[in-house]
Amino acid sequence: MKAPARVVVVVGAGAAGTAACYAAHAAGAAVVLFDGGPGATSLSTGAVDATPWEQRAAAAATLGVTLVAEPLPAEVEAFATALGCWQLVPAGGPPAWLATESGRLRSARGHDRALLSLAGLPRGARVVLPRVQRAEWDADALARALAADPAARELGLELDAADADLLRLHGEERIPAADLAARHDEPERLAFLGARLDRVVAAERRGGRRVDALLLGSWLGARQARAGELGERLGLSVGEVLATLGGAPGLRLEAARARLLGPRVDVVPARVRSVARADGELVVRTAPSSRAGDGAPTHAAAVVLATGGLAGGGIRYVPAEQDAPRGAPARARVPFELSLEAPVRLGVRGADLDITSSTLGPSLDEEGWPTSAAPSLLESVGLRAGAHLELAPGIFGAGDALADRPRTLLHAVATGLEAGRAAAAAAR
Amino acid sequence: MRRLCYTQTVKEPRAALARAPRALAVTSAESPRDVDVVIIGGGVNGTGVARDAAMRGLRVALFERNDLAFGASGNSSGMIHGGVRYLTYDPEVTEKSCRDSGHIQAIAPHLLFRIPFLMPVPRRRHARILAVLMDAFFAAYDRYQPLKRGKRHTRLTPEELRQLEPGIEGDIVAAMTFDEWGIDGGRLCAANALDAAERGAQVHVGVTVEHIERDAEGTVTAVRYRDRHDGRGGRLTTHVVVNATGAWAPITASLGALAPVHARVRPGKGIHVVLDRRVSNYAVMAESIDRRAIFVEPWQNVSIIGTTDDDYYGDLDRVSATTEEVRYLVEGIARVLPSIRSARIIGTYAGVRPTLHAWGKLEDQLSREHEIIDHAAHGAPGLYSMIGGKLASYRLFAEEMTDVLGRRFSLSSRCTTHRSPLPGGEAEVSPFALAERIGVDAVAARRLVYRHGARAERIAERIARRPREALAVCTCEPVTEAEVRHVVRHEFARTVGDVARRTRLGLGPCGGVRCAARCGAIVAEERELAPAAGARQALEFLLHQARTRVVGLGPEQARQEALGIAAVRAQLGIARDESGP
Repeated sequence: MKAPARVVVVVGAGAAGTAACYAAHAAGAAVVLFDGGPGATSLSTGAVDATPWEQRAAAAATLGVTLVAEPLPAEVEAFATALGCWQLVPAGGPPAWLATESGRLRSARGHDRALLSLAGLPRGARVVLPRVQRAEWDADALARALAADPAARELGLELDAADADLLRLHGEERIPAADLAARHDEPERLAFLGARLDRVVAAERRGGRRVDALLLGSWLGARQARAGELGERLGLSVGEVLATLGGAPGLRLEAARARLLGPRVDVVPARVRSVARADGELVVRTAPSSRAGDGAPTHAAAVVLATGGLAGGGIRYVPAEQDAPRGAPARARVPFELSLEAPVRLGVRGADLDITSSTLGPSLDEEGWPTSAAPSLLESVGLRAGAHLELAPGIFGAGDALADRPRTLLHAVATGLEAGRAAAAAAR
Repeated sequence: MRRLCYTQTVKEPRAALARAPRALAVTSAESPRDVDVVIIGGGVNGTGVARDAAMRGLRVALFERNDLAFGASGNSSGMIHGGVRYLTYDPEVTEKSCRDSGHIQAIAPHLLFRIPFLMPVPRRRHARILAVLMDAFFAAYDRYQPLKRGKRHTRLTPEELRQLEPGIEGDIVAAMTFDEWGIDGGRLCAANALDAAERGAQVHVGVTVEHIERDAEGTVTAVRYRDRHDGRGGRLTTHVVVNATGAWAPITASLGALAPVHARVRPGKGIHVVLDRRVSNYAVMAESIDRRAIFVEPWQNVSIIGTTDDDYYGDLDRVSATTEEVRYLVEGIARVLPSIRSARIIGTYAGVRPTLHAWGKLEDQLSREHEIIDHAAHGAPGLYSMIGGKLASYRLFAEEMTDVLGRRFSLSSRCTTHRSPLPGGEAEVSPFALAERIGVDAVAARRLVYRHGARAERIAERIARRPREALAVCTCEPVTEAEVRHVVRHEFARTVGDVARRTRLGLGPCGGVRCAARCGAIVAEERELAPAAGARQALEFLLHQARTRVVGLGPEQARQEALGIAAVRAQLGIARDESGP
């Protein structure tokens, strides 16, 4: 790599890493992004939150105030616009209301463009869920559950199932939802879907029933949200429910990232093994197994670690018992580690991580899963950052990799932008 | 009697036919009662007595506070073993156990699967002599194997042992094999309860008995009960109450104003660790640090490590494994199978054995025998407690208890529970033919036939009427929508957790993240509850399962947990709220 003095390396290509690249590039740095493969962002559900939605909902209920969308930094909104795959609602107004596959309505600060926000529909709107022979999609049960949700009642929505025939090829009942979504990237196949949905709407209307919106599974495109096109064609709102992890929204986010960063950033598909300081600069080495790793280290003036937290694989849980020698106790150790070597500190709840006073590892009986009062240790542990998210001289942290931060997309973006900007400044 | 919202009394023609003639002379002298016998406890003993008593023509009502197989019955090692440990000092118990194991095979062949055991003999002082003694010991055990269609033991060289199970390490001088049978305790209880109900018994699940009423002479007259789901209560008059509540026995006795000491047990907690797949072809015995026999066994789709045995003083409704207990087992197994450390733990479960009470003995030395206490001796005629026992001898214990009832009611009919098949055991069903007919894959059909035997046909009929019910709700196990609806409608399941105990839904590697909400929706629909109630059940199930996993976390599973937390937060939210916009 040339011009080491100005290079900013970003480790991790999720929401935080993408934002860091975007900000560092905007600030004039040459950016190299190391993409170590899918993480938590790739598995995102299509809900776009700043603070955890349940906490906001609970707080609003406790205070007896109306739930509104919180204000966001202008640069976060600008990034979302540039990324293009998210729809954020205006600050101060009502939040987006998303229907989950589990049959409840939840608020969100924004959403993947393919998802249908029920808050956008007029009062008394009738939402139709086409019946499709797929395991995740029991249209009748889902319509019933969503209609009974207090939020749907307050929004004055009517939800019903209707007969449909949306699958085309043999075996489509059983393929993963994301694969079905990818088939709808084909214009001809999307037209087929549109025509079939047309029939659903026509049949409903023939029966004297209104149709204001169509709610579908997570099937509307893998490279780009196809909901808008469909909606225009049908002349009504069309969108997806919020699916569980690992569906189409994650794929669409990855595609949007590629479109955003492609012209701006040098993307290296490799896992980083270490970041070390030598002779006044930072040396980034990739894992030997990486396909693109030619073995040559990358020199950088600043590094952003956006490796993700435990869910994304950026932080690993390594209880001592894992490498205990036969019949002998293992050595005491810190039970979490960063997935790469770097001169940074891990911490949780405002303190550095300490060794566990057990040669086998910690007892997570109480802290392993969150309660309504406290988050799980597994979603809190992370890198300890100082001012401007600096972890060590020239090394910055962003997103889920940071300790004690909410694990939300917009928080990852906000910290990513801040870290990217700070890294670019440090590289100058 | 006021009708409970959840009483399943399945009426079938064969129930009426199967009812034996009963001698009315004695009971007619007494005042009329709603039922002859109230059985408290939906474990294997309670459901076993309910079945036997119903078969002999008694009017039976069974009350279970939590769920069928909620306690020791559903949280055992999942084996009907022959009582090999009693061979040296009480061979009669071994013979009885083996004979009864054979009976259970005859009446529920679909529920049993072979588990061959390997028992390595590690090098230590006198190890070779020990191997010879063990050889002779198992040769003696071989005499009983034909009773349960078991194979004879073999003595293996260390080389042969490693050929069979290459992961075994350590200095081994010899090894023995012996043969046992696995069973799903949850299915066994469900089958007994179902049969009892089809023969006219009332089965109340999730309904707790709050008070056992007795008259001035102390004689049992009625029970008062309350449905723990909807709070509705009622009273049922009866001649007899059978306390078959396992470790809860002293608590149940006290509901009848009896001193708990009269139905005393020494509760012994045992935990098991569940791995994500079958990590070995054979069950392997090992020794814990305090030289207790522990094992890892392939069991259904998973492997199970068991077990601990510790005095328990906690809340019986909330027994759970701890990190310490998990490590105690894993460290013990790792001495023989070191690769176990990197196996993925996907859950744990815990139960409490109702061992006979004795002071001053170590847990392992306590008798696993059973006894029936007639509380007439304590001034409470009509109240009986079943104390102790084990899964393998449940049928015999139930027979003995029902014999007591038979004398009490002067019944002429005799026990036939060892000859009449349990529901599903009547005929063999080919999973492959079934798979083709209902359009599910062969694995799903095989699992369905394992759980339901011939009754799988009824689920197939549902699917024939509504093909969408062939879709898998839980893909780990797998479990179809039709099966979920079937167990809610016919097997007394009332919650997502109840469905899991009957179908193993949500107990696989995904921990229910992908299926709990869907299952909750189905349960709510079948039971005509609000959809929110289904979602609440799903969340409760997910949080409960999560608590059973975090005590055994390894690196890979920790990441899965973090993802699972994110998934649950996104879909349901960890904190429940009912706020609108």
